[in-house]
Amino acid sequence: MNSDVILFENVSKFYGEVLGVNKVNLHIPSGITSLVGPNGSGKTTLMNLMTGLVHPGSGKITVRGISPFAPEKLMRIMGYATQYDAAPRGVTGYDFVLAGLLLYGYAPGEAEKRAWKAIETVSLTQSAERKVAAYSKGMRQRIRLAQAIAHEPQVLILDEPLNGLDPLVRAETIAMFRNYASEGRHVILSSHVLQEVDVFSDQVILIANGMILAEGEIKNVREEIHEHPSQFLLHCQEPSRVAAMLFEGGQVTEVKLDPQGRGVLVLTRQRDAFAEAIERIALSGIEIDGVIPTDENVDALYEYLIGGGR
Amino acid sequence: MSPLAQIWTIAKLEIGRAFFSRRALWVYLLALFPAVIFIGHGLDAKIKRDRWTGRSIASPVAIDSLSPGMSPEQVIEKVGNPQDNRTWQGRHRVESKDNDKVIIEKTEMRSMFYFDGTRRNDLRFENGKLNRISKNQFVSFEEDRKVYAAVFQYFYLRLAIFFGCLGIFINLFRGEMLDKSLHFWFLAPVRRDVLLLGKYCAGLIAASVIFGSGALISFCAMVGFQDPTQIQSYSQGEAAIHLGWYVLSAVLGCVGYGSVFLAAGLLLRNPIIPAVVVLLWESINGFLPDLLQKLSVLHYLQSICPIPAPVDDNVPPVLRMILSPAAPSSAWVAILGLLAFTALVLFAATHAIRRLEINYGTE
Ligand SMILES: Nc1ncnc2c1ncn2[C@@H]1O[C@H](COP(=O)(O)OP(=O)(O)OP(=O)(O)O)[C@@H](O)[C@H]1O
Ligand SMILES: [Mg+2]
Repeated sequence: MNSDVILFENVSKFYGEVLGVNKVNLHIPSGITSLVGPNGSGKTTLMNLMTGLVHPGSGKITVRGISPFAPEKLMRIMGYATQYDAAPRGVTGYDFVLAGLLLYGYAPGEAEKRAWKAIETVSLTQSAERKVAAYSKGMRQRIRLAQAIAHEPQVLILDEPLNGLDPLVRAETIAMFRNYASEGRHVILSSHVLQEVDVFSDQVILIANGMILAEGEIKNVREEIHEHPSQFLLHCQEPSRVAAMLFEGGQVTEVKLDPQGRGVLVLTRQRDAFAEAIERIALSGIEIDGVIPTDENVDALYEYLIGGGR
Repeated sequence: MSPLAQIWTIAKLEIGRAFFSRRALWVYLLALFPAVIFIGHGLDAKIKRDRWTGRSIASPVAIDSLSPGMSPEQVIEKVGNPQDNRTWQGRHRVESKDNDKVIIEKTEMRSMFYFDGTRRNDLRFENGKLNRISKNQFVSFEEDRKVYAAVFQYFYLRLAIFFGCLGIFINLFRGEMLDKSLHFWFLAPVRRDVLLLGKYCAGLIAASVIFGSGALISFCAMVGFQDPTQIQSYSQGEAAIHLGWYVLSAVLGCVGYGSVFLAAGLLLRNPIIPAVVVLLWESINGFLPDLLQKLSVLHYLQSICPIPAPVDDNVPPVLRMILSPAAPSSAWVAILGLLAFTALVLFAATHAIRRLEINYGTE
């Protein structure tokens, strides 16, 4: 049943005390899915979890029905171009791609043919016989991509694959992703900025501080971000009455009394309607001493994620 | 692709790096050190022998027929002119009973030296009479074999192979973590335990070739410079068997220590710690109860060596415990014991590698 999706069920991963990702639930269908979040938000951690490079502290992951604990099965359908910049010591670009194919089990002749094909796809034929250590950043990026696609995997995972690519190669690479996706494969990639990936992604997953903020089709996610809930602290008389009035009005998602007794804590997605509601309450004679946003960091984060364009 | 084929593919991909790991080139120095010693010793003996042989060679039969009390002239008549001939006067005081008179007694001393092809014969005369003949084997095969046994057990097995395997095997995984390239292997469609065995094979082939040839070369160097008649009788007799056991115990040393350090490289970041711990363990092993002694690589290896290493009688008992295996097992039991020990360690290592995560950064 779940053999064509990537599933995260309540997955958490801590590196010692440091949070990697927290209670992640994901249901990723095939097509191009972009993981977007700032540095340290947990994108690489999510990718390493689904490829078995790190193991979840709790929760369960399956990739098209396969557990990441079974690399001998998983890696038959998966290719992963990591963010790690190193190749094994002393290998040439061609050796690097070829070694992966030999481990995959292709006969030497077939492996060589596929290696050259993959290298050609990323336009590295000229430099294939040079040592990877002597490659430029963009070339290393491309050789990793070549290695990931050489066995034409059903699930392609790419950590910041567009980083360091020149515009021409970038366009070709994106075309290749689209091509892969159109054949019903998974292409999962990560990026720091939404605008970089939104045009060609089928789904996006927004992540920050190890938590999934939004997930789904690009249009819906944009709306969700735009109407993300903001939290305010309402200093007022008769907090419980105010809370009841706000709730009846329906402009707020969540209302609760401040545990420190300062007033009412409000979570809302409709800031304008919320402002009007407060005005009405004030007019009705209840004294409102102030409305303070409590989550400016989160607001800034959303601002960052959504970027400039809408 | 069958796991066996995968193991072999991994070993082939890895073997170049196992032989020429930049972190472990010093391994070759350890492996060749005994060969250098025995070639040096052999060359030295050969040069001396050639020097004496260049002059006349005395008949061993004639020398054996000499008896104390003979005069130098009689000796020369029997054996011929000596290769070296010295005379001097010995003096010593004789206290006289008369008050303070001191008498100095003089002795006419003479020494003659004959080389008979294999032995150095030193003849000592006092006042014209032969009173001492010392015959020394020029290169003593018996002695050299004992020295070889000692070098092999105390240096080669205990230190050279030990540290050599440390260098080769610990780098198989730890080296790739330092290079940040281990994830490449984890992303291949290969079971983690298969990967472990593939890498172990690569290390084992490299270590066995390096230390097996080290044993072979040093053994040949030790035998090759002996007296030709002795080489012949030895090589028609036990030589091949002895050599076989030495090479086998070197290879088995790589098998055992290799597994230990492969596992250590998976579990620990600092190579000094496992080295010290294992070295200590092997050293105190002689004091441990029987069962724990079975968990020592050296215990098995020493049981396999064809000639027991000599332990000087003057060595204090504590040290002797450290140097000699407590209860040598029979060779086949030892081999099986070592293989079982290795299998146990590798099994533990497969557990460690299955839990291993890539935890180097991405910068
Ligand atoms: N091996 C590790 N040991 C300790 N903490 C780690 C490790 N790997 C990641 N982390 C922490 O986990 C969090 C998520 O890191 P992750 O690498 O997944 O972020 P990212 O979204 O990929 O960032 P970037 O955009 O910089 O690549 C960060 O706080 C990071 O410090
Ligand atoms: Mg990352």
